[in-house]
Formats: sequence, C-alpha cells, structure tokens
Amino acid sequence: MRNTFRKMLATPYALFMALFIILPIVLIAVYAFMDKDGAFTLLGNFKDLAEKEALPKVIKNSVIAGLSTSVICLLIGYPIAYYLTKKEFNRTGVMIGLFLVPMWINFLLRMVSTKAVFTALNIPLGMGTVIYGLCYEFLPFMIMPIYTTIQKIDKCYIEGAEDLGATPIKAFWKVTVPLSMPGIISGMTMVIIPSITTFAVTEILSNGKLMLLGDYIYSLRTYNLNLASAISLALMVLLAISMIITNKFNKDENGGGIW
Amino acid sequence: MEEKNKNNQSDYIIELNDLTKVYDGKTVVDHINLKIKRGQFVTLLGPSGCGKTTTLRMIAGFEKPEEGVISLEGKDIADLPPYKRPVNTVFQKYALFPHLNVYKNIAFGLKLKKVEVTKKTLGGKEVKKLVNMAYMPVEQKVVKKDGTEIVKTVPFRRAYQMMTVTTKKGVKKIKKVNLYKKYIDDKVKHALKIVGLSDYEDRDVNSLSGGQQQRVAIARAIVNEPQILLLDEPLGALDLKMRQEMQLELKSMHKKLGITFIYVTHDQEEALTMSDTIVVMKDGKICQEGTPIEIYNEPTSAYVADFIGESNILDGVMPEDKKVVFAGAEFECVDTGFAPNEEVDVVIRPEDWVIKREGNGILNGEITGCMFRGVHYEMTCMAGGYELILHNTVEYKPGRKIGLYVDPENIQIMHKEHVDNTLPVRFTSNTTFDLCGGVYEFRPAACFEGSEYDEENDVLKINGEEIVLKGKEGKVSFEFESIDMTDDEYAAPLAGNVESMIYKGKNYLVDIKTDNNTHIYADTEYLWDKGDRVGIKVEGDKFRFSDLDFMTGSDAAGEKENA
Repeated sequence: MRNTFRKMLATPYALFMALFIILPIVLIAVYAFMDKDGAFTLLGNFKDLAEKEALPKVIKNSVIAGLSTSVICLLIGYPIAYYLTKKEFNRTGVMIGLFLVPMWINFLLRMVSTKAVFTALNIPLGMGTVIYGLCYEFLPFMIMPIYTTIQKIDKCYIEGAEDLGATPIKAFWKVTVPLSMPGIISGMTMVIIPSITTFAVTEILSNGKLMLLGDYIYSLRTYNLNLASAISLALMVLLAISMIITNKFNKDENGGGIW
Repeated sequence: MEEKNKNNQSDYIIELNDLTKVYDGKTVVDHINLKIKRGQFVTLLGPSGCGKTTTLRMIAGFEKPEEGVISLEGKDIADLPPYKRPVNTVFQKYALFPHLNVYKNIAFGLKLKKVEVTKKTLGGKEVKKLVNMAYMPVEQKVVKKDGTEIVKTVPFRRAYQMMTVTTKKGVKKIKKVNLYKKYIDDKVKHALKIVGLSDYEDRDVNSLSGGQQQRVAIARAIVNEPQILLLDEPLGALDLKMRQEMQLELKSMHKKLGITFIYVTHDQEEALTMSDTIVVMKDGKICQEGTPIEIYNEPTSAYVADFIGESNILDGVMPEDKKVVFAGAEFECVDTGFAPNEEVDVVIRPEDWVIKREGNGILNGEITGCMFRGVHYEMTCMAGGYELILHNTVEYKPGRKIGLYVDPENIQIMHKEHVDNTLPVRFTSNTTFDLCGGVYEFRPAACFEGSEYDEENDVLKINGEEIVLKGKEGKVSFEFESIDMTDDEYAAPLAGNVESMIYKGKNYLVDIKTDNNTHIYADTEYLWDKGDRVGIKVEGDKFRFSDLDFMTGSDAAGEKENA
C-alpha cells in the first residue's frame, strides 16, 4: 500500500520528463530522419547538410568562439572564484552576489547595450566583439562550479602542503588547482556548450555577419525544420560523446562539479 | 649530547616563552612557557579546548602568536611561515592529498626541496662540491652470478642532480638544484619501510584503511627528516586495537629516528604509555610538566590527579606539618609547608590503600561493591561517610568490614586551587546585584554584618549609617555548597556549561563556565555531564560581600573567606 502511494508521488515528475524531455528528443530524432514530404530518409538530411557551403565556416567559427570564450572565462573566472572563497574578501557573501547579478538582467538588453558601447567607441563588430559578448554572458557559469569546488577543499590540504615546504604559490599549483579540476571541467562545459549554440549574441554583436551553429539552426527553422533537427541531433551526439570522455578523465572523487 | 654540542647548543631544541594566542577576544593559549629537550617524546595532554592543538599549530606555523617567542635552536621562528620551518606535522585528519598516490604523497616534500650546491672552477677544472644529507642506509637486493639473491646495505645514492655549469675561472657559483630523483626514490621507499607499507607505493590513498593512511601520513612527514615531528591526535580516528598497536610503533619509530616528537592527545593512557615528558594543560595554561611517573604519582592539583588515572580525591585539613585529616581520621603524611589548618586536596591512588582487619587500620569502612578487573579487583568502600575506590588483588565481598591504611608517602597533598567563589559584582539596587550578567537577589540583613533593612522604604543602614548600594562595585563570595544547580537555565539568574567534574568521595565539585568565560565552582551530589547547560541558583542569604568602598578592613564580612 504504502509503496504504491510513494510511487504515485513520482507521477508528476515522470509526466514532466516524458513531456518536456523525452518527447522533444524523440521528435528531433524523428524530424532528423524525415524528408520535407514526411517520408523516411536515413541519411538524406545529413547529405544535404554536407553539401551546404556555409556549414564548414559556421562550424569553424563555432569552434573558435566556443574555445576562446571558455578559455578566457577560465582565466578570468578562476581567480575570481578563488578569491571569493577567501573569507576576508567575501565575508557576507555579497561579493559572490555581485558577480551573479548580471545573470538577472535580461541578456538581450545587455547585448544591445554592449553593441551600443562598441559602436560609440568605433570598434568594428566581428569575432572579437562576439567573443567579448559571450564571455560577458557566460562568465558566471564558469565562476559558480569552480567556486563550489574550491570552497569544498579542506584547508588541511593546503596546510599539509605548506608544512611539507611548499610556498603558498606552490601549494596553490600543486594542491588547490588539481583538487579543483572537477569544477574547472564542469565550468568549461557549462560555458562552451551554450556559447556554441546561442544565437542572439552573435547576431547582435556582429550585425548578423557571423554565424555560429545556433544562428545557423535559427536561420534554417523557417524553411527546413528537418535540416535543423539533423544538426541538433548531430550536435547532441557530439556533446554526449565529449561528456562521456571528460567524465572518464574526471572520476568525480569529491563531488563538486555541477554536471 | 655531551660533546657534540660544542657550539653553544643547549640541550633544548625548542623553547616557548610567554606564548599567547587570542581568538576573537578569547585567550586560547595563555602565556605558556615550555622547554623541550632534544630527542624527547613530549606529549601535550588535556581535554578539548585546553589550547594544546593551538600550541602545536603555533609551533608548526599555522597560527601566529599574539605574544611570545618560539625559539628553535636559539632562533625565534614565531614569524616564520610554515614552509620555512624545519618541522613537519602529522595531522589529525591525515590531510593526505587525494589526487596523488601513496608514493607521490610521500615524495611531495622532497620534490620541493632545493639544495645549495657550490661549484668552483680551479684552473679550468670543474670541482663539484656536494654536501651530503643525513646518512641513511638503504637495503638493496643484489642478484649474484649464481642466481641467489642477497640483501646488501648500501649508503644512499647521491642526493643532488648534477648540473654542469660553466663558470668563469675561480668564480664561485652557488646554484639551487633539486634532489636527485633516484635519491628521492630511495628515501620514499625507506620511509615506507619504516612505517611497514612497502609495496603500497602505487596505491590510491583513498583506498587505504584508516591505519594505513595514518602510516602514510607519518611516512610523508618523517621522510623530510624534520628536527621536530609534530603529531596532532594522530590516533584519534583509529579503533582501540589499532591505536594500541600504533602507539607501540610510534614509540619505536621515535627511538629509531632519534628526532624530537611533540604529540598532542586527550587520552591520558596514550600519554602515559608513550611519552618521556607529559605536559598537562587546562584553559590555555600548563598545569604540570613531568615524566609520566611524576605526573601519575605526584600530581600537583586535583585537576591533574583526576585527569590522569583513577584516584580518590578528598577534602582534607592539615592541622600541622606531616599530619592530615580527611574522611574523619588523622593520617600521617610526608608533606610540610602548609599553613596551620589549611584546607587541602588529598589524592590517594586506588592501589595505594592497604586493606587490614577492622580496627587495625587508621580508618574503618565497609565494602559496598566489588568488580573483577582482570589483574585486580576494583572495590568501593564507605568509610567516614566517603565513598572510596580501592584496587586489590584479593577479593573482599560487599558487606565485609575492613580497616584501611595508607603509607604516608602515598598520600599526595595539594593546595586547593579555590576555596570559594569570589567574583566581582556591581549592585543594581539595595537587594540585587549583577554577577557576570545575571541579576541575583540577596537579603541585605543577612549578608552585611550589623545591617538593618527597611523593606517598605528601601532604606539600608549598615552600622547605623545609611547606604545606597546601587551602582557600587565590589566582590561577592559564596561557598561551593551554597549553589543549587538546576537543569532549567531560565529558572536561575545565571547559566553556564559544565566544564569538568571531580568526584570528592561524597559529592562532585563541578566547574561551571558562564557565557563570559568566568568559572564558578559548585558542590553537588548529582552527576552532571560535561557540556550540560545549567542554571546557577544561590539563596539570598548566602552571599558575603567585600571590597566595597564603605567597608573598613574590620567589618568587611567577606574578609574571612578571602584570606
């Protein structure tokens, strides 16, 4: 009795999962293997994609933008996260709030204003401005997971390293950084994936000159939903593979990462 | 130690002078002075919160003392960061790096070590000068021609990586170089062998048991050949059997390595088994320092006696030198130098009671309980209204009447730390005063000699003179017995936490620490637990006041107690 009641409690969640997670994935898969007329085609859509002239350039741009955004976010985000864990710097938790507040402001508004600043300064819009926008947008996603992992590192490890003769700088590189690896990896994934698939940022900050995968899918949506689905599916498979690989390297010992 | 210390080296490797540490306005370590001899196994012993770990952390360099000097080999290291101190720590939680395996954990310190090498070129010829580090032999397996394996003891390999440095003629060049890889390898393997974990090099530290992790932590520290090894309750997380085994191993490691150990523990048995010197601490101060035998046989305070081993602690009075009265009988003792009729604490170890036929001892008693404890019987005995603990190899059944005798030398007599509670107060009215933030009511007529109190008009007259108490400051005294402890803290003006209890044969002397860190002592028949929150009630006529401005020396009522 009790057991069945407990199982019933899970029904809303099961329904939610089915409706909003499983069904869309199935639909994408179905569309990806269907031609315009609704007939089944195994590789037709992918063949079409391969013939698109614009696609290689879009992929190249996406790789450049995604990688440089995540690297820049790491370089900026890691020191911030590190100092935020220091009590004297973040006594009341206000500082961490300040770094997360940008997420609460509508991002379209922020991008449009950023563009206004660039044009006012006569800076040509292009890859550079796009990367700037992406960093601006996704930096909090890098800070958060790194902050939580560093915060969880027991202080005794640092003390242990210093006791064994490591200067604070050495102790940082030999203990803090390796122990915060789970946070770095989840931060990287949390930045790289959305920055590849976002669309508005590129459109606004490059005046539509530059296209990333997200923009490309967006541009296809009106006349060929099947092609868009095919790209999405391919992207999904690629991400799943990369996630499996990173998880293999990062056997989550202490928890910490968000993924 | 005799001839080796030619160059003014004292016998003491480390000296703490006036060392003080304050956390958030609370003094954790209070002006302690301690000298530790070279090569000794010293234990800092005390309950949690007594400042022992903080003292250790100050020696390691993790805490900066507010005041005082830590001098290692005569040099003050109080301001030196931990990585520059020639000491290593074994942490309570081990602190093994989870991202490194056993080998890399142990090699961590050695890989960081830099050594100065002096190179000279003389007449174009390069001369490499290498100062060898402490000689530690290493055992190597050698396969002979006929296939048999023998174990050969060989000295350590070269310690440093050789570097060719082109230098100008005759110019000295000092270069810092890393230790030679093979040397690190030998040292790590040697350390693993000392702790009995050879073949564990490649293991993940998280896959090891508590005892094994402990051994790795010790290996990681000793491999650096520290001048002092600091151990912060290293056996706390192990189970009893493992702990006893590790105690013996640590002791033998100490002998083998010959370095100074400073060990922190709250386990008195551990301290007695392992140490050369025990330092008993309480409330950030050192209570007593001595060999385990001294500490056990001649405790200097009831606190130390109670903390170390089992003991009978009784209230006594010394009418004259070499005589002490307790439990209703007069005993001979060997102590002198006490004031006539001074109230003292008397300590008698349970095994020091000599059981005689009834009437043949100094004290008569009746056995009330008997328990077999392996080597001896532990018996309780009621004598002169006090409950005593006796240890004897002969069994006496409950109900048996006996006589008790103690050899004068086995009676340990100590000054009382406190005779009553004497604390500063501020009066808030003619009938109330503020003590440590709690407002107590009192009956002025009963507390001031020669006083009259008119309740209706709130007029207090002492020796005919009208006095307004409000705002005055002075001291209040009240006896341990006058306190009524209650478990409802809101039913009393003042509350505190039970810090410690000492059984005095009849009653418990309880040390209550109030929220502003004042100690109040109370006598009670009931057993409280450490940490219990209790309310402190005192009847309104039990107070005696002193140090008030209108009092002259003779009529200060509290004077007697203060003396």
